[in-house]
Amino acid sequence: MTIILGVKDVKKSYRMGKVLVPALRGVSFEVEEGELVTIFGPSGSGKSTLLHLIGCLDRPDEGEILIDGANVLKMSDDELAELRLKKIGFVFQFFNLLPRLTALKNVQLPLTIAGASEGEALEKAEEMLRLVGLEARMNHKPFELSGGEQQRVAIARALINNPKIVLADEPTGNLDTKTGWEIVQLMKELNEKKGQTFVIVTHDPHVAETADRIIHLKDGLVEGIKEAPKRNKP
Amino acid sequence: MKASKILSIAWDNLKQRKLRTSLTTLGVVIGITTIIAIASLGEGFRLEVRQRMEQGFELDVLIVFPGSFTAGLTGGFSQTDVENITKISNITAVTPLITIPTAELYNMTDVKLGAFTVGAVNFTEMKEILPLRFRLSNGTFPQPGENQSIVLGYKASKVNETMVAGVGDNVSLIVKSGNYVVYTGNFTVSGILDKGGTSGITNFDYWAFIPIETALEMRLFKDKPEPYQIILVKVSDPQYAESVGREIENLFPPYSITVFVPSALMRQVDNILNIVQMFLVAIGSISLLVAGVGIMNIMTVAVMERTHEIGILKAIGAKSRTVLGMFLAEAVLVGIIGGFIGAFTGYGLSYGLARILSNFMQPQRQETVLQAPETQRMQISPVFSPEWTIVAFVFAIIVCIIFGLYPARKAAKLNPVEALRYE
Repeated sequence: MTIILGVKDVKKSYRMGKVLVPALRGVSFEVEEGELVTIFGPSGSGKSTLLHLIGCLDRPDEGEILIDGANVLKMSDDELAELRLKKIGFVFQFFNLLPRLTALKNVQLPLTIAGASEGEALEKAEEMLRLVGLEARMNHKPFELSGGEQQRVAIARALINNPKIVLADEPTGNLDTKTGWEIVQLMKELNEKKGQTFVIVTHDPHVAETADRIIHLKDGLVEGIKEAPKRNKP
Repeated sequence: MKASKILSIAWDNLKQRKLRTSLTTLGVVIGITTIIAIASLGEGFRLEVRQRMEQGFELDVLIVFPGSFTAGLTGGFSQTDVENITKISNITAVTPLITIPTAELYNMTDVKLGAFTVGAVNFTEMKEILPLRFRLSNGTFPQPGENQSIVLGYKASKVNETMVAGVGDNVSLIVKSGNYVVYTGNFTVSGILDKGGTSGITNFDYWAFIPIETALEMRLFKDKPEPYQIILVKVSDPQYAESVGREIENLFPPYSITVFVPSALMRQVDNILNIVQMFLVAIGSISLLVAGVGIMNIMTVAVMERTHEIGILKAIGAKSRTVLGMFLAEAVLVGIIGGFIGAFTGYGLSYGLARILSNFMQPQRQETVLQAPETQRMQISPVFSPEWTIVAFVFAIIVCIIFGLYPARKAAKLNPVEALRYE
């Protein structure tokens, strides 16, 4: 199996006023291609910071992050943007859709940024929205959609550039239990169907349990990595 | 991201905030309106002044005086001087002129004519050099040999608008020196000059002319080696006027003569008008700068408002320069729209102002030596200048880019994590 994501002794601190607060104090793990991994931990454990680092939104103070073999630390801002565009898809807790754009336009956005033609972007966006079961609501704006629907749009947007890794930051955190569960199931389904790697950050043990592996994070350190026994990959 | 897409996104963003966009654009519109209106009115004013000057001065005629304005216009020219000037290239005609001081003209009933100055000229050469001014309304020019003939200016033949000497009438010329009469002679009026029209230094309305041969026979001039007071020189094209003027100056000792070159004067006036116009446009440009500050203000607010959005765009892979481009595109669009509308309103305003200004510039009715009664009223028509329009348009866009750059850079440099956290 190919290692798609490598995290080696990553440290990251934040400055709060005059005090340096360590968020990650030396985190290491690897994720294989096609895996669905959850990063599980209480709030303040450094999950989101870790996800931001993996997602190339931020740089670690120390350590190495390898995405598809490339060392993130050595890249310029533009190269990181390119990496986010082509190899990473983001799903956020608060959906983070552009409020003025329809579902379809929101999903098109990454392809448009990548320089695709209008026609190609439209076709691909429709395909993605069908994939997440939203073909009937393509032309609605975010405020006309339910939380679950918005998150589906966000997932469709994350997938449109066919990224290697999909990162989800508390994707169920803003949804009721039932809808949250549907979203997790959708991601699982997509992971199985399309073979994309999913890294999901959650503090919900039920969500964490759906993964192939659970990485426990506590106080900025990996407390343990647990293989989920109930799921066998072919 | 494709530039066309960036533009269309920027356009959508502007449309989302119609009131704000309109107000920002209004600033640019006012700036461009001011610049265009000032520039086109200024250009119109310049053309009007130029046209008036062209009517007042023959640009292809040089007037050569003896002496200098500072040391006094004393002395005269000899026949040799005239011949030397004739040898200069690009000259089509040269004629000397004698002005007879303290000359008085009376008709047969002893009424003094309205003539102020009596000149002695070669009629054929004068006609050639000043065809527009030396034009008869009545009668003929004296033929060679008709030495006791006189041509009167339009006003010279009158006293208080009443004609006192017509073609065929006899007039007597009396020339005095101090208390002594040095010349008397009878002349037959052979022609009356046409109206001189607008003012200029060579308005002949109050002049009378006798043949130069007659003057040269007078005791005053007969044995004078330098009898001529003025030499008129016509060049083949106004463009040679200044170089010919310099060549004439070089024929004489320094500062001993003065060459009046109307085209040089006109160039000076043109330069002054240019400076005035530039100055006014510069003042107008300040309003555009104020508009620029408005753009910067609005865009800084917009960047703050859209911080979260910028975070999203960056998270899904937009490069800093894409974000920069989106905001700059908004500024440029405001510049283009504002510039476009401003060009229209600018020309509209200048036509309106031109009408108002023209009404203020009614002709003054009193008659003076310098101002003929038929002086037309000043008519300023704004000039549509493609150059000025383009300059104003580009200026608008540049101002928008300069003032949009700071907020756009601020947006582009946002840290995605922090921007996403911003609500």
